Amino acid sequence: MFVSVLLASAVLAALGLWGAWRALRGQPVVFVQLIGAAVAELALVVQAVVALASALTGGGPADPWTFWGYIVTSLVLLPVAAVWAMADRTRSSSVALLVMCLALLAMQLRIYQLWEVVA
Amino acid sequence: MTEPAPAVTVHTRPAEDTRRPAYGLGRVLILIYGIFALAATARGLVQILTRLEDAPVAYVLSLFAGLVYILATVALGHNGRRMRRLGWIAVTVELLGVAIIGALSVTVTEIFPDDTVWSQFGSGYGYVPAVLPLLGIIWLWHSSPGRIASRGERADR
Repeated sequence: MFVSVLLASAVLAALGLWGAWRALRGQPVVFVQLIGAAVAELALVVQAVVALASALTGGGPADPWTFWGYIVTSLVLLPVAAVWAMADRTRSSSVALLVMCLALLAMQLRIYQLWEVVA
Repeated sequence: MTEPAPAVTVHTRPAEDTRRPAYGLGRVLILIYGIFALAATARGLVQILTRLEDAPVAYVLSLFAGLVYILATVALGHNGRRMRRLGWIAVTVELLGVAIIGALSVTVTEIFPDDTVWSQFGSGYGYVPAVLPLLGIIWLWHSSPGRIASRGERADR
């Protein structure tokens, strides 16, 4: 789980910095960033599968409700940012992508903390 | 005697807005409110449903904070006349909440055995709960229809 959180966080941080950079220069999200977002989303899906596999084989967090709430929510945020980027061709889409990445990074931290407290 | 008015045919074309959609920074603020509405409501619900007896005041407050964030999200998003009034109420309640609960959580710690969204002025959420109502107030002030109209008139002169 630690490797998965580290990997996803690294991709999300890179995507967030990229978004911040384009927001500062007043530019909207470009298509290459959406590919980056797809890579990040894939990392999150892999993470969900890893968590599900270890939960089914006996492991898993002490507070499953909160943990799975975070996992499910984290899968939704990047698609929302992508839809936003396609609808809003202004700087705001870059700010929105940055906000999503920051929220996801905070969630990665919580997911890892919750996972460490095993039932 | 009045002459009958001559028949006039007015040719009109259907109005079509071909500008690309641009939602702007206000929408980003609404997005942040949405994330907080989701986070605080979900957190409050889970806490109340699974372990209410541990810290009843804190957990009920978390849920209340979540509901206020939901109200603020909807009100800022809707942007109608009455909804803007509700938006003002929501952001004011948030500002008071984060100030009062923040101060109480530092001074009278025994009421809060567990944290709420507003504890320690929102330090558990990177102080975003303290900044968010201020941004909400700035946005409501900046986006008020009267102010937009007067800005437009100034630009014409």
